[in-house]
Amino acid sequence: METVFDFFMSIVDRFRYAPLVIQIAVTFTFIAVTLTAIAYLSILINRYRSYQREKKLAKLNPLIDDLLTEHILMNEALYNEETVEPVVPLEVFDKPVFSKKWARQALINRLTMYRDNVQGAMGEQLRYVYLQLGLDKDSLKKLKSSRWDHKIQALAELTNMDVPLADVIILPLTNSRNRELRATARHAYIKLSKNEPFKFFDVATEPLLRWDQIELFRIITTSDRIAIPNFAQWITYSSNKSIVSFCLKLVEHYQQLSAVPAVTKLLDTRDHYLRANAINCLGKLKIESVEDKLISMYDSQPHNCQVEILKAIGRISSGKHVDFLRQEFLHSTDFEIRKHAAKSLINNQWAAEALVQELVETATRENKLILKHCMNPLIKF
Amino acid sequence: MYRILVIEDDEVMPKIIERILHKEAYHLDHVVNGKEALQKLEETNYGYDLIITDIMMPYANGFEVLSRVKNRKEGKPIAVIIVSNAGNEDMILEGFKLGADDFLKKPVIPGELLIRVKRLLMRYQ
Amino acid sequence: MEWLKNFYESFIFVYGCTMLLMYAILAFLSLRGILRYNRSQSYVDYTQLLDSPLAPGISIIAPAFNEGVTIISNVRSLLTLMYPKFEVIIINDGSTDDTLEKLINEFELVEVDFAYNERIKSQPVKRVFKSINTVYDKLLVIDKVNGKSKADASNAGINAATYDLFLCTDVDSILEKDTLLRMVKPFMDEEHEKIKAVGEPCPECGYVHFEEDSTKVIASGATLRMVNSCEVDEGVITRVRPPRNWLPRFQEMEYIRAYVLGKMGWSVINCVPNVSGGLGLFDKEVAIKAGGYDGQSFAEDMDIVTRMCTYMIDNKLKYAVRYIPTSQCWTEGPPNLKVFSRQRTRWGRGLAEIITTHRKVLFNPRYKRLGLIVLPYNLLFEFLAPIIEFTGIITYIYLIATGQINWQYATILLGFVYLYAVMITTLAIWWDHITFHYYKTWKEVIGLALMAFIEPLIYHPLIVFFALRGYYFFLTGKKHSWGNMQRQGFGKKKTANA
Repeated sequence: METVFDFFMSIVDRFRYAPLVIQIAVTFTFIAVTLTAIAYLSILINRYRSYQREKKLAKLNPLIDDLLTEHILMNEALYNEETVEPVVPLEVFDKPVFSKKWARQALINRLTMYRDNVQGAMGEQLRYVYLQLGLDKDSLKKLKSSRWDHKIQALAELTNMDVPLADVIILPLTNSRNRELRATARHAYIKLSKNEPFKFFDVATEPLLRWDQIELFRIITTSDRIAIPNFAQWITYSSNKSIVSFCLKLVEHYQQLSAVPAVTKLLDTRDHYLRANAINCLGKLKIESVEDKLISMYDSQPHNCQVEILKAIGRISSGKHVDFLRQEFLHSTDFEIRKHAAKSLINNQWAAEALVQELVETATRENKLILKHCMNPLIKF
Repeated sequence: MYRILVIEDDEVMPKIIERILHKEAYHLDHVVNGKEALQKLEETNYGYDLIITDIMMPYANGFEVLSRVKNRKEGKPIAVIIVSNAGNEDMILEGFKLGADDFLKKPVIPGELLIRVKRLLMRYQ
Repeated sequence: MEWLKNFYESFIFVYGCTMLLMYAILAFLSLRGILRYNRSQSYVDYTQLLDSPLAPGISIIAPAFNEGVTIISNVRSLLTLMYPKFEVIIINDGSTDDTLEKLINEFELVEVDFAYNERIKSQPVKRVFKSINTVYDKLLVIDKVNGKSKADASNAGINAATYDLFLCTDVDSILEKDTLLRMVKPFMDEEHEKIKAVGEPCPECGYVHFEEDSTKVIASGATLRMVNSCEVDEGVITRVRPPRNWLPRFQEMEYIRAYVLGKMGWSVINCVPNVSGGLGLFDKEVAIKAGGYDGQSFAEDMDIVTRMCTYMIDNKLKYAVRYIPTSQCWTEGPPNLKVFSRQRTRWGRGLAEIITTHRKVLFNPRYKRLGLIVLPYNLLFEFLAPIIEFTGIITYIYLIATGQINWQYATILLGFVYLYAVMITTLAIWWDHITFHYYKTWKEVIGLALMAFIEPLIYHPLIVFFALRGYYFFLTGKKHSWGNMQRQGFGKKKTANA
């Protein structure tokens, strides 16, 4: 015993009187070995756990599938759109395994997957199962968790299952400092709020990022419960530019002609990105009456707006402005401008057959190539 | 008895389709990607009356299967329904251009799917 | 002499400590990035992009040179990527085999009049093809004169690209189905098209002037791995396996360390030095304005990223380069020493070239993190490391020869460096394992991790040697044979056994 202790002490002593370099080296060697060992252990433990989890799920999922098939999928009364009373006898889920948290989570996940695939009365029944088994309580509990990813998961489940949430719970989350949580909360608010789903358009000061816009766009355009407001109010009054440009996309999607005056006013905005978006929107709505204005403002515009104006004239295709397009096509020095002019000319071809023919015959080699490019149905852009 | 080919890489959807269509005397085959689908079609010499397909799948997408089926000169025509969660307008249009008979967006209403399947099978008799 | 020795010793000490500290910081940063990314995985629904009219379009650019064996299945694999709005541009870079014929026959291509706008110089484009079959309307094939480099072919692809973003890849690399969905997300997570007003209305024109105020993501990248022992079926990975052959296996480990630990860590503080040439998504306008790829460069991928960053800073624009930790691309690693030495010598030479061509940026405070962190790091710890290691070995030998060495301390120091290196690699594999379980069995993970113990003894010396050779060639300006890597071909169901 003595000798071991002595040996140990002698090492400590040697360490203490060694140069700094050696002291650092020894310390970090120690740390490195420990961390390496931990890494190996952790990989192995993690492997084992996920193997166990998969094994359990591989047993549980078919069980859930069988129950849902037998009681919901096979029930022909659920094949149409009308809602019916709950039909699933809850006793069938009365299995010991469903008292465990992981199993309940697996059930929620499975129900969500099914709801992604079917709607109508069958979708309703899946929702009943979720509610009657009290799975919403599990979700609500997660919503109170301190981890933001758990909150997001909970919101996603509740949204998927159409569980109404009180404003007091959800509104604070829409101002969360965490960007992802904030976005999810906004989506949940739109989907679940009964009175004013678009309320946060009025109050949002933070920009809507493009990813947020994609999610929002999908939620707005796919939930049929939402009453679509006139977006002109935000286009005119909102000071949040990302909301304005997002509303332009919604106007275009819903072909909301009542918003056209508001969109037209945007042509005078000083933000050239927003202006380009407005021109784009008007073109896609095919508003013939703004063509003159677009052409009169054309010369003073930056490149991106000029391109949008050319595209808009092609989309509107009134046939009135082929001379303008011809002018741009022949005289612009910018390749892209000429290409868009040509493309719009082709789109107006019904009114300018002879002109296009003449251009093809007389144009320079490059211009001819551009025209042929635009005329070729195999090339989309 | 009608023979239907379901091409779908999702886990749950084929089960649902199978259940919805089980009452009618349909024979259902299920494959999970475009390659298997084309193989299956070759094997059976296109011996199906209806194909229900997703769009985005590995190896060959739904459009490719669709165009292969619709561009076949000989043999009896096969009806094709596209069921997909990816459905922006361009894609739907492209599907119809290639000859798709119907387009359903997920989530589907079971009754609707059933009716559309029945109607198409009648039409293609 | 004594003075020199002391100076050398303390320099090495400080240098070594800084380097090890850098690795520790990177490991820590990347762990944070990965955990965050992982958490977001539990709820981000990438598939919602699929039906969105707002998804930005992407042009995939894949140059092909004599790829006849595998071209069809690889193009098919690219065409079936999950994304709502993309095109696939294959550039036939003057192949001398049947690459182009195969494409024409398989995809029903016809020559079209294409208004090709040569915004970046490249070898002339001879013909452009599109398919008459609507199914393949995403495909565009360009036939051009061989430009002796991937860079030149990529430039032609960029000129023909329709969309605002382009994905640069190799036609023989295999991409995961969700690659575009995942790689485009960083571009959409920053505010874009934002401007701010500058001061009062201008006295000359009467307008208030604006300037850009959005942080633009100019490039994003993801982890690459070795395809060598994976099971591949017609361009789709069906089973991931670490390479069985020792050389690609070392490379797999090295890639995981470089991407998961290195670039992911840099990404967290927006200091990514390089987006791999094998897989990168770029902003087209910025790439073109920065001059596109440099066909003469030996490290064209790092060169273009550096130039794009320089361009952004020169124009007072805010930018970011982002990495995601998931593996999206499987590429074939050099299976033998000959090809490997050629590749690494080229990399070494490329690095030397980057440092010299961008010396104006280096240590220039005007270029902020690019000039003060990214390039200095590359100079000090990537470029100089092999040289210093080499001098270190010489010194050791000298000390041993002259009997001046303190064997005990020398062993302790060597052991420390060795174990630290092992730890860093092991951590990288651990982080990768946190990201996703790519390998099916635990034996494969551990098998790969154990390579870390022999790497410093076998693989690392090789890399140092090849890097030094690259520097030497750079200095002497030796002509370098390009060496189109021989493809092994993983066309039909077969394991490409390197």
